[in-house]
Formats: sequence, structure tokens, C-alpha cells
Amino acid sequence: MSTAQQTLPAARAATKAAARRTRRRRGIWDILGWIYLVLLLIFTVVPMLWMLSTSLKSEWAALQQPPQWLPSNPTLRHYERLLSPYSEVGPTFLRYLFNSFWVSSATTVLGVMIAIPAAYAFSRFRFPGREALFFSVLLRNMFPAVVFLMPLFIMMRWLHLVNTHGSLILTYLTFGLPLSIWLLKGFYDNIPPELEMAARIDGASRFQAFWRVVMPLSAPGIIATAIYSFILAWNEYVYALTFLNNEERLTLPVGLQRFFTEYASNWPGLMAAAFIMSVPVVALFLILQKYFVRALTEGAVKT
Amino acid sequence: MTSQNDRRILSQQLTRRQVLGLGAAAGLAAAGVAPTNALAQSDKTGVDPEQWNPETIRQMAGTLEVNTAEEVAEVVPLDYKGKVSYWYVGPNEASSEIEKQVDAEFWAAFKETYPNIEVNVQNLDYNQMLDKLRTAALGKAAPVVARMPILWGVEFAAKGQLSEISLDEFNFSEEEFWPGALKSVTWEGKRYGVPTNNETMGFIWNRAIFAEAGLDPESPPATWADVVEYSKIIKEKTGKAGYGLVARVNAGNTPFRFMPVLWAYGGGALDEAEPNPTYDKIYIDNEGSQAALQTHYDMYVRDKSVPVGALTNTQTENRDPFVAGQLAMMISHPSEYAAIIDAANKATGEDKVIADQVVESMAYGLIPEGPTRRAVVFGGSNIHIFNPDLVEGDFDRDAARALIAFMCGPEWSTKLAWVSSNPGNIRGFRTTWMKERLETIRFLDVTTSMLPYGIPFPVIPESPEIMNIIVPEMMQNALTESMSVEEACQTAREQIEELLTGL
Repeated sequence: MSTAQQTLPAARAATKAAARRTRRRRGIWDILGWIYLVLLLIFTVVPMLWMLSTSLKSEWAALQQPPQWLPSNPTLRHYERLLSPYSEVGPTFLRYLFNSFWVSSATTVLGVMIAIPAAYAFSRFRFPGREALFFSVLLRNMFPAVVFLMPLFIMMRWLHLVNTHGSLILTYLTFGLPLSIWLLKGFYDNIPPELEMAARIDGASRFQAFWRVVMPLSAPGIIATAIYSFILAWNEYVYALTFLNNEERLTLPVGLQRFFTEYASNWPGLMAAAFIMSVPVVALFLILQKYFVRALTEGAVKT
Repeated sequence: MTSQNDRRILSQQLTRRQVLGLGAAAGLAAAGVAPTNALAQSDKTGVDPEQWNPETIRQMAGTLEVNTAEEVAEVVPLDYKGKVSYWYVGPNEASSEIEKQVDAEFWAAFKETYPNIEVNVQNLDYNQMLDKLRTAALGKAAPVVARMPILWGVEFAAKGQLSEISLDEFNFSEEEFWPGALKSVTWEGKRYGVPTNNETMGFIWNRAIFAEAGLDPESPPATWADVVEYSKIIKEKTGKAGYGLVARVNAGNTPFRFMPVLWAYGGGALDEAEPNPTYDKIYIDNEGSQAALQTHYDMYVRDKSVPVGALTNTQTENRDPFVAGQLAMMISHPSEYAAIIDAANKATGEDKVIADQVVESMAYGLIPEGPTRRAVVFGGSNIHIFNPDLVEGDFDRDAARALIAFMCGPEWSTKLAWVSSNPGNIRGFRTTWMKERLETIRFLDVTTSMLPYGIPFPVIPESPEIMNIIVPEMMQNALTESMSVEEACQTAREQIEELLTGL
């Protein structure tokens, strides 16, 4: 038997052993990965479940020690009160809900409409001051939002927008646009300009090339931007509290104050309201999450 | 008007369960005992304990018939057409049903009396309203009328953001309000508001936990030193928190619970607890203040007998463990008692059994005293008209006058304070509504018993900053041991000095 023949089984055995070691190593990492994911899941889901559980309890049961992990006498009373147009609090809550939808939707639509051409311009055009302008877009986000509270309030008053939803929409746009533009620009950077050139060669105008080629390809990025804008506007509290002085116009985050007093909180009512408030955002994210993830990852890597 | 049925329910719950807890308060006052320190403190509020105690209040209640519509018609004609915006801290989903009901009845009654006055009402959260008002006033988008907690008004008055008023324009006289309450709406000799209600808090304890800890369930701590001792015993014997200490910064609950201790030991922020306060002397680092802070240090750091979250807790975080039977004692607002009873009434099944047990164990009495005095914050609210230059939209002073005259008259001054307070208009004490209230909500005797011990916060524009920021930060500095008690008091003194000289 030649030396080569003698070493072959040994080499195979060594290869197998190496593969086993790799598998074992991978197995350990897989297990650690799973543990990490499970912990993350618990961290994320348990508060939601606790919120749901509390919303199904009576006010008294919500305060018991040790806590009832599952309500002993579950009740949908708080949801009925909030969602029934005939209950004492229902019409008010539904109005807050509608106001939040209106403000968030308008912010989202306007934000996307502005962010798309701005991001496209930053991605495709070269013009003097482009870099400086691009980074200056982010300037607003380098300061805490509360710093702008008084200046914006005075500005809104000057524009006669205090106590209108317009003040919130305008303000939320100034918060959301910088990141939206950055997000979309990264996405447009990933779409080869050659595709547009090909369309131009086929006779399309610049706008047609943008509309028919770039827009469909950038749909995930636009959806991600829209979700981001919507969530930002949906959850905002401080500006809504400051700018709106009319019960008819309040949004949900401010409306949640109805469950606090100086001395007490109505926890089940608050949790029911918070749960209802989280449903649109969670549903939106679940439906569109693949676009959201794709947009974030594609925009992150330049090809 | 609140339905008789609801009041009866509340009354039955209260009279059946809390009578024992009233012993200390009602007994003391009913016996006509007027401690000398209470007499001394009445100089600041005008609440003479000889004249104002549960016995005398019961005697005067029901001796006055009031026709509110007739009274307010002399102020503003009932057919007046106008518009007014109004901000206040009103009842909401966390309030007791009876509070919500009275509030709704008030607005219905106002609409009936003044059908042509449109009121744009904004019901705000207690912890957010001050900042919102400040922002709105700076941005010239303030409401025409606002009802504010007693501590806030003078800041706005000093900044020129409130309109000067006279009691005459509402057909009121000075005799209808306690001098201490009127002082809180007066800045540099001018009047900027009308008192709506004046309140004093009481002391609430869980008799079941006292019994579990081997303490006499019917004997609340008489002094603050007792509170420290009881709190320690309760923690050691039961593992439950003893006293409901709160020390959150920028939350109104903190000074309302700590200042009574500070005053009881002879301390204070300024000289507000002295018979004739001038507010130009700083007491925050005197021996009394240090001794008072030491009690809280002992409970929080040495004995660990108070909730561990005390540094960020407000009274809400006290009420919940109290209801859960995990906290034994706390300074409490009367409306909390009503809210707890209300929640118990709504409980069902097994929860109802537990709720009834907790309510059964609740007892209410006087706030403990210290080496110098027994003290409580003379709190409440006042109603103000903003400066026309700062108001958004039309400024209709007559509509504002109609609203204020209606709200601050004896009828609604009494009804709006139904479960929580005392009427700002002291004619309210003589009305039939007060008689009904006293007959149905017996625990209010504690509130009236505490009235003579009331000490108003300093009536200076820096008061909110001192009470909501400097005092709680002093507590935090000591309780986190980042400073000694003495250093924390000294630092607070420097901050107050800087604040007073900087404006």
C-alpha cells in the first residue's frame, strides 16, 4: 500500500473530525443564538402580554400582590368603554384615535412626498453645497426635540397654527424628514443609474425614468420611510400636548392622560387604551416588515 | 346634582368602615381641643380652630339657602352671550365616579344658567398643566381663565401674566374667603384670583398591617418620630413597606408630603411657618429642617422601611401598594379615599372579597406632629383670569366673570369639593349641600380637623421652583447619600439664596 493510499483514510478521518468540530462549534453558537433570541423575544413580548393581561382585569385586580398573571375574572369592560360610541368615554377616545390617524397619515404622506425627490436629488445630482446641505439636513436631529418646543410654538402662533393639526404635521415633518431622506438616499444609491440611462435611451424623459423604473424598485424603501414617519407621528406626545388646547383635537398619546390623576391611575383602562393604540402600528409593521427590513439592509450597503 | 343613590353608596361604605380611624381626628376636634400651636398657625390662614372644627362646622351647615342663579345674575346677566376658554385639572378616567358626576353636573348647570356663554374647556393632567400654562403664556396662547393649584398663581402674577381682579366684580366680599386663601391670590398688594377650594390632607393607615406587625391597629403614630419607629417595626415584622415616602423631583406630591414634616420640626423652606412670615429668611438648613430630613434618611437609608422606589415615586405609586396591602401608612388626600372606595365598589367576584378586606382595614386620622407643631399644607386651588395680551382669540371678561362667579359661589364651591376638599367660599359651609356632604362623607371630619394646622406655601413667585425642585433635590441628595443631611440642607440653602437674589 502506497503512502498516499495509507494517508487517505487518515485525511478523511481528519476532515470528518474537523467537520464535527465545526458542527459542534456551530451547534454551540446556534444554541447561544437561540438563547439570545428567546431572551430578546421575552423582553419584547412579555410587556405586551402583561399589558394585555392587565387590560382584562378590574381596577382592583390590577393592583393585587402577588400579581395575577392571568386575570381571575377577565373582563372586556375597558375595551367596551373605549370603543363603544355610546359609552361615557368611547366617543372621546374614538375621536382621539381618529385625530391620531389623521395627523399620522398626513405626516406620512407629506413626508414621503418630500423625502422622495429630496433623496433622489442627493443621490443622483451633483450640485454646489450638496454635501453640506445633505449633512445639514441632519442638524435638526442632533438636538433634543424639547429644545425646539418654545421656538416652534412661537412660530406656530405666528403662523396661526396653534391648536390645529397643521402645527403637529409641520412639526413632525421636521423631525421625520432628515432620517427619511437619509434612508431613501441610501436606497437610491443602490439602484444602478444604468437602469435609468437605459430607459432614457428607450425614449423616456428623466421623470418617466424615475417614475417607471426607480420608483417601483424603491418601493421597499418608500414603505420603510412611510412606516417610520407614521410611528414617529403616532407616538409623539410633548408637542401634541403643547400645541393643542382643544379637547376636540387632541391625539391619542395626550388622551392617555385621562387615565392618570394626581393620586391614582386607572391601570386596566390605561393598558386597554395603550393596547388599542399599539394595534395599528404593530399591524402595519407585521404586514410590511419584509419591505422594512429589506430597505434598511439594502440602504446600508453600497454596491 | 349628584344622585342621592351614589352618595348613599359612598356614605354607607365610608360610615361603616372608617369610623374607628376617625377617632383621633374627630374626637380631638369635637372635644373642642384647640392646641396652642394650631392657634398660632391660624394667624397665617385665618382658620381659627375655635370657630372652625368639625363640631362648629356641623352646627353651621344647613343654615343657609342659596339661589346661585339669582346671585350670579347680579354679576353678569343670565342672557349674556359670550365665549370663554378655561383650563383646569379636572376628573378623568382615574377619578371616582362621584367626582366625574359632580363635574358633569357643574357644566350642565352652568349651561342652564348661562345658555349663551360658550366655554371651551381643557381638562389637563396635574403634572403637565404648569409647564403647558407657562408655554402657552409665553407664546401668547393662554386661556382666558385657568384654575390652578394654590402654589402656581403667584408666579404668573409676578410675571404680569394675570389680570388684576377685585372681589367686587364677582359680587364677593373678603369675608367669604379665608385670609390665608386670599393671600395666595395676592401679589404686591393686588389681587389676581379667587380661591375655589382649600384643602388639608390627612394620615391614612392600614389597620391589618398594624395588627400583623404587633402594633395597636387603632392607634396611629402620634409623632413623626413614631412614624419612623412604626415604619421600621412594620418592615421588620411583615416585610411590607411602612411609610409611603415620596421624593420625586418636579412633582407636586413631594412638597405636600415633606413640608409638613419640615414644619413639624421647626424647619421650613423660608419662614412660612412662623406666625408672621416675611419670606426673607431661609430656614431650609436650620436644625429643624435637618432633623426632619434625618427622619426620611433614617427610613430610607438606615431602616429601608419605605418603598425602594421612593426617589421616583409620586402619590400614585403609594396608593397602588396601599390598596394591595403592601404599604402601611401615608399622607393622603381625601379624594384618594373616595377613589379607593370607588374601585372597591367596582370589583367583582374574588376581587370584591379582597377589596372589602382592604377597605375594612383603612383608617384615617390627623397627620402626626413634631417637636414644634403639627402641620399640613394649606392647599387648594384658585381661579385666575389671564392678561388679555397673552390670550389667544377673543378676550371676553364678562364671560370669564360669569364663570368665576358661578364656580366660586357657595353652591358650586361646595359641590365641586364634594369628596376632596373644603369650599373656597366659606359661605359654602353654611349651605344645605355642606350638611348633606358632612352627613354622608364622615371622613371629611379629618380634613376639617386639620384645617387649623394648615400652613400656606410661601406666596412668592419662586415658590414652585423651591417646592418642586429644590426641596425634592435636597431630599434626593441626602437619601442617595451623595451628600450628608447637613450638606444637602446647606446646598438647598445656597440654591434658594441664588434663586431669590437672581430674580
